[in-house]
Amino acid sequence: MNIRAIIQKIRSSFNHREELPNKAVLGFLRVLESVREEECSCDEIYTKIDEYVEREVDKKDAAQLMPLIREHLDLCPECCEEYEALMHVLEKTSKDQV
Amino acid sequence: MPTRTNEAWLSDLATPGPAREAALEDLRVIIQKGLPYALSRWLSPDQPQFNSLVEEVTQETLLRVLDQLSTFEGRSQFTTWVHKIAVRIALTELRRKRWRDSSLDELTENEDVPPPPGLLADPQASPETSAERVDMLQRVSRIIEEELTDRQRQALILLGVQDMPMEDAARKLKTNRNALYKLLHDARLRLKRRLSMEDISPNEVLTLFEHK
Repeated sequence: MNIRAIIQKIRSSFNHREELPNKAVLGFLRVLESVREEECSCDEIYTKIDEYVEREVDKKDAAQLMPLIREHLDLCPECCEEYEALMHVLEKTSKDQV
Repeated sequence: MPTRTNEAWLSDLATPGPAREAALEDLRVIIQKGLPYALSRWLSPDQPQFNSLVEEVTQETLLRVLDQLSTFEGRSQFTTWVHKIAVRIALTELRRKRWRDSSLDELTENEDVPPPPGLLADPQASPETSAERVDMLQRVSRIIEEELTDRQRQALILLGVQDMPMEDAARKLKTNRNALYKLLHDARLRLKRRLSMEDISPNEVLTLFEHK
């Protein structure tokens, strides 16, 4: 496939109303049970996640103290990835007293 | 490396000079000690792109730390705050790269390959179960079509169908990650309320697809 064909394919993919595949429908349903009216934004999570992770590393019950953060992490895969990566960094480097 | 309190970090980094240079050098070491752990799920140090990514992320993190110094509120250790910034930069870059690579792979490799069998084409499901699944998916799909705005639908396609990272999807929709999450949250709430009005439980729908 040449570059022109690739560009054409990309253009055409954005020009028609794409049907939602069943997999996407089910994926969307999967998170609905956890959705609450009250919700933190990604920015709010980013502001507090360092404090949250430190509490977790110190074995304080962060999820109980900051429940909205835990709920957001359960719903937002990208914030959750960042949380897990930061946890891993702190768990490993705190042993070296960084 | 000297141990600094949060106040010492802020004071050393606040103004140009030898103290700032020394603090930046120490931060560089700290960031580069943490990054291999942050990246370990996706990239190992022996992969060719590892060193350049770590260097790039370190530079960008140091710039951002200086730029955002006044926003540090002391909720955590200063170094934890710095690691948080490095993690955000590193994962954003990794997601972008991963998505671009997989999208190009799909375009170049799968052009003549038929789509994979759908969830409804389950050979082990009984005829009754298959019929129930078709009916339920049609109902839910219709509700989604009716409830979601064009923009919410577009966001769902970018994230749930094309697997685009949130940062890229936000850029494409000319918004930011925060607003995009809110858009999705509102979509989920609308759908949850409507399903409840129609007496459809999301868990029951999902269960239908789990048993044969």
